[in-house]
Amino acid sequence: MCANCGFPSAPGHWTEAGASTPTDRLRARFRRAQLLQSVLPAFGLSVHDDGAIPGVTLSDRTGRHEMVDDVSEVWRAAERMSGRVIDPLDPQFLAEACDAEEREDT
Amino acid sequence: MSEARDGRMRLTVLGGFLGSGKTTWLRHQLHHGQMKDALVIVNEAAEVPVDDALLARSAELRVLAGGCACCDGREALVALLRAICDARVGGDDALASLDRVVLETSGLADPGPIVDTIRTDPVLIHHLMVDEIVIAIDALYGLDQMRHEPLTLRQIETADRLLVTKVDAAAEPDLARLVATLQALNPGAAISGAAMGSGAGLPDHAGIEPVAIPPAEGSRAPAPIAATRLDLSEATDWPAFSVWLSALLHARGDDIMRVKGVVRTPAGRLLLQSVRKVVQQPEIVPEAGAKPTDDDNSVVVIGRGFRAEDLRKSLAYFTGERR
Repeated sequence: MCANCGFPSAPGHWTEAGASTPTDRLRARFRRAQLLQSVLPAFGLSVHDDGAIPGVTLSDRTGRHEMVDDVSEVWRAAERMSGRVIDPLDPQFLAEACDAEEREDT
Repeated sequence: MSEARDGRMRLTVLGGFLGSGKTTWLRHQLHHGQMKDALVIVNEAAEVPVDDALLARSAELRVLAGGCACCDGREALVALLRAICDARVGGDDALASLDRVVLETSGLADPGPIVDTIRTDPVLIHHLMVDEIVIAIDALYGLDQMRHEPLTLRQIETADRLLVTKVDAAAEPDLARLVATLQALNPGAAISGAAMGSGAGLPDHAGIEPVAIPPAEGSRAPAPIAATRLDLSEATDWPAFSVWLSALLHARGDDIMRVKGVVRTPAGRLLLQSVRKVVQQPEIVPEAGAKPTDDDNSVVVIGRGFRAEDLRKSLAYFTGERR
């Protein structure tokens, strides 16, 4: 546990399992950030993880940002910041996420 | 059942409605030495405990009386488990050799909140791992209880193993209908029979229509529970799958009863299990053999209110396969 911030309180978040070496852990961490960054722009949010400081930083277009300690927290914070419900099974979700992707491409 | 490898004790939660035969079954297991290395905790909602006298053959027995562990007795359960874990790591010889805890809940307990409490407690998570939820169902009155006691349905939905008790006392067609109904309510659970605590066969229920359970008064008819198997493609690595699953449980955790499966990761085969919104810390399981088995990289999602193809579409979107 980090003596300064107290993260993580339990033996790591469950999403962080499956990596036993420091290299694998870092690789998985960047991969998670990349995955989140591919989903959350549709909600007006961006994700940053520098691989050193514990946690993930979410920021919106106004510059407001929030630091959270694990992926489950990311969804709660993203709902708070965007004011919208994030449901990966909602047809609207998939449609909007795809639209955002297309807008970025053009 | 998995063996203790990381020093944590395995916890079996034994539940079931009042009089469903929990203690009889457990007593039989203890008598035959099946759980001889287990510490047994009996929780009774009543002030005066009775079951402890019946379970005298267990290696260690603790009684938690006067409060149901899923609601008003929750703090007492946590305190008792913490004290046991403390004594075990503190060198208590009687406890040091035990690697399993069996918690027999009161007949009025919903196992979901009990499991949540243990998995989210910052101390207990280092000492205990929930291994299995076993629910006893009365072969004679089980269907009646499902119709009139919504609690029975909650117990059945969270089970890993459903134990139909008193099968010797029920007629075969009734039993087959009960098994078909249980199968429909919780497609992911293994179903076995017992009579006076010892194993008993169940009739074939193929082709038998499950009994429709009416919703409790004042509530909407719940959608049926379905089990969806997701076979993860090469592109779906563990970070992608876990990020998607965390979003899914965040949004739909109340409708997803169980998620179970084995996923390949750089660290080995990872066993994944969840009950509602709470995911157990995944553990590495030994290699099944030289070649990956069919069950590797496949996960079963059991729940209601979603379509199988939407699950697959959504997962494919998260992993980037559809972009």
